[in-house]
Amino acid sequence: MIAKRMGFAAMAAAVSLGFSTLSVAADKHVAITQIVEHPALDAVRKGVKDVLAEAGYVEGKSLKWSYESAQGNTATAAQIAKKFVGDAPDVIVAIATPSAQTVVASTKTIPVVFSAITDPIGAKLVSNTAHPGKNVTGFTDLSPIAAHMALVKRVMPTAKRLGVISNPGEVNSVSLVTLIEAEAPKAGMSVVLAAATKSGEVLAAARSLVGKVDAIYIPTDNTVISAFEAVVKVGNEADIPVLAGDTDSVKRGAVAAAGFNYYDIGRQTGQMVVKILKGANPGDMAVEGNAMTDLYLNMKSAKAQGVTFSDALISEAKDIIR
Amino acid sequence: MSQIAFLGAIEVGLLFALVALGVYLSFRVLQFPDLTVDGSFPLGAAVCASLIVVEVNPYLASLAAALAGACAGMVTAWLNVRLKILHLLASILTMIALYSINLRIMGRPNIALLGETTVFSPLENLDMPTYIALPIALFVLVIVVKLALDWFLNSEVGLAMRATGVNPRMARAQGIHTNRYILGGMALSNALVALAGALFAQSQGAADVTLGVGVIVVGLAAVIGGEAVMTTATVFRATLACIIGSILYRLAVAGALNADMLGLKAQDLNLITAVLVTLAMVLPGVRMPFRGKRKGGMTS
Amino acid sequence: MIEARQIAVTFNAGTPMETPAMRGIDLTIPEGDFVTVIGSNGAGKSTFLNALAGELRPDSGQILIGEQDVTGWPTAKRAGLVARVFQDPLGGSCANLTIEENLALANARGKRRGFGASVGTNLRDDFRAQITRLNLGLENRLGDRMELLSGGQRQAVSLLMAAMQPMKILLLDEHTAALDPKTAAFVLELTREIVAERGLTTLMVTHSMRQALAIGNRTVMLHEGRVVLDVRDEEREGLKVEDLLHMFEKVRGEEIDDDALLLS
Repeated sequence: MIAKRMGFAAMAAAVSLGFSTLSVAADKHVAITQIVEHPALDAVRKGVKDVLAEAGYVEGKSLKWSYESAQGNTATAAQIAKKFVGDAPDVIVAIATPSAQTVVASTKTIPVVFSAITDPIGAKLVSNTAHPGKNVTGFTDLSPIAAHMALVKRVMPTAKRLGVISNPGEVNSVSLVTLIEAEAPKAGMSVVLAAATKSGEVLAAARSLVGKVDAIYIPTDNTVISAFEAVVKVGNEADIPVLAGDTDSVKRGAVAAAGFNYYDIGRQTGQMVVKILKGANPGDMAVEGNAMTDLYLNMKSAKAQGVTFSDALISEAKDIIR
Repeated sequence: MSQIAFLGAIEVGLLFALVALGVYLSFRVLQFPDLTVDGSFPLGAAVCASLIVVEVNPYLASLAAALAGACAGMVTAWLNVRLKILHLLASILTMIALYSINLRIMGRPNIALLGETTVFSPLENLDMPTYIALPIALFVLVIVVKLALDWFLNSEVGLAMRATGVNPRMARAQGIHTNRYILGGMALSNALVALAGALFAQSQGAADVTLGVGVIVVGLAAVIGGEAVMTTATVFRATLACIIGSILYRLAVAGALNADMLGLKAQDLNLITAVLVTLAMVLPGVRMPFRGKRKGGMTS
Repeated sequence: MIEARQIAVTFNAGTPMETPAMRGIDLTIPEGDFVTVIGSNGAGKSTFLNALAGELRPDSGQILIGEQDVTGWPTAKRAGLVARVFQDPLGGSCANLTIEENLALANARGKRRGFGASVGTNLRDDFRAQITRLNLGLENRLGDRMELLSGGQRQAVSLLMAAMQPMKILLLDEHTAALDPKTAAFVLELTREIVAERGLTTLMVTHSMRQALAIGNRTVMLHEGRVVLDVRDEEREGLKVEDLLHMFEKVRGEEIDDDALLLS
């Protein structure tokens, strides 16, 4: 009899525990919407999560964490936005432009932090970056293009023609290419563009540059970065140095990069989220851009791509891959 | 599911009801498998957004979007009736071309409309919140479009168009110039889809060149799903089924998104769509889209 | 008056499957004639009908309908002049449209289509009156889909549809061939009535020699793409099937051993 009652109690406890795990009685709720699954965007998300955990917001304990990916489908992104707005979290983090735009269209009250967006003003997410004024702020991944152009010349002083591969369908890249076309001539280089609308086209795009360029620069373009190895292959075969806008690419074969990686962007985004969770008003928070520029070099690629680093360059590097 | 998520599903469902009506016209009425819609949906968004950001009246911009869609539909139809290209292939050709054309029209892959004057701007001045006002406004619009389409399909011209799809040889024997009706029907179908794209961009804040991915699947899911839940003996019921199917599909998606217990995520949506459409096609009494006509045994 | 001058049609020209379906057919059909056309399979009967209707364009020759050269006209353009009933009961109407919608389609043959309602009340009453004469009980089923009707019922309705609007020639393409004997007889009788009532110029293709002689005022036999026999009025009266066969053999100097012709 008693055993039965205890059994019942145990079952009731288990069930209510199960229910309470489902409806987490958490302090804070952060919801992340991403347009598509992709290593760079996933790294941003991880950065946010890690920083939150370090600040004491751990999933399942003091934090409810919702994440949805729209699988590249904007209508789905719209429904995800509506779901999140309906759930009324403390902060919505939106990664990439289409997801961010539909979230901003769906709420004027819930704090929104966007990330990995190159041109937030062009995307009409904020009207100004210094003091956005509404419920939206965020972190851009705008590369310091001028600095990157200077780096190209330092790695290969004789470079006169710079090849750039990008996806004309990615709004971030389009902004970057415009900047590159403005800055490269100042560094004494002309620009040759090659387009790849899907990752499968990257190899052909890289090959089309052989013989026409002295060096190749890959901006932070999701499509091209996902097929980065193809560009490296061509660079190795044809003795063309390949530089990148993000530092992760150096591990994958780029000869040099001075910048950030997406995990860092995620972490810095996470810091903005923590501030909001602690009570800051997003409208008062300026849109931040990347402050870190570390130099990464890859000796093996340098050999394969026919480049020798100057001693000055080597001494400045944060990390050198041999 | 929260009220906002529910109403959000209704909102997107009504926007895509226009797509479903367009797909119904091509697939069902004209028996023309038409993938152009994957290109004409973003075309409508592109044309409309490009015009709105240069201060063109949003109603005119939306109308221009519909006209652009009509042109796209006519190109596909022309490839089929004049150049004798298989309809499915013709539509794929147009769809592929439209990707580049849309980029050209916009000049960039994404045009943001947040903060611009759209056809939905007047709703912001109302007392009720936008997430309620928008679905209501769309509901009125969709009903008006539906009734207009019903009236058209029941007119002499509309009946001729229906005959063109059911039995083109008999239609020609009755004096119906089937080629003209195919051109007209495809124009109307893609005009509806382009209009849906224009309205989607205005309500969701941006026209993006990737908007078109998967539109045909969603349209078909709506048409077929609607047929599974109600009989479609008359034109009135058939168009109603399209609207209901579209809304049900979006509610199912919202249900999947909000069913935390099931652990379903947006990643699973493609699978869910496939299962839904399969179920809808397997349920008894549902017509298969490409069931061949019975052979009549003509000799000599 | 319908005139076919030296119509020639060859299928798959220049390939090993080359088939000359019509090798120069000359036929003049004065107004009011009811012509039955017979011939073995491959003789060119349906091809001839398709050429008259505009479904296919002859390689050479001319077709004149009432003084107008319609050789280059597509089917839809000729529809005001040519009415047709197909052999396949399914092929001559729209299966999932209703009876009255099918009638409305036929009613608009040769006329300009507008945006008015396709089946208004007046039209429906008119249809009801017309379809009552078929004595098939269809007058209360105007809202039913065509596919619910039997083959015979569909052919009867198709006949009605064909005769609804004026035409220069009515083409009947083995329209009783797919029906059982009793229904075939019914449709044939209906055909006789309607043609007589309205004095329609008619061309009826049939596989049955017996049927060919029993109806109409003139019989034409095609063989290997040519007209080999053309008997009318007095010459035709009293002819039996054996007589037809003998006449044919005399003209062509060949023996016929086509079961289909002999057995029917």
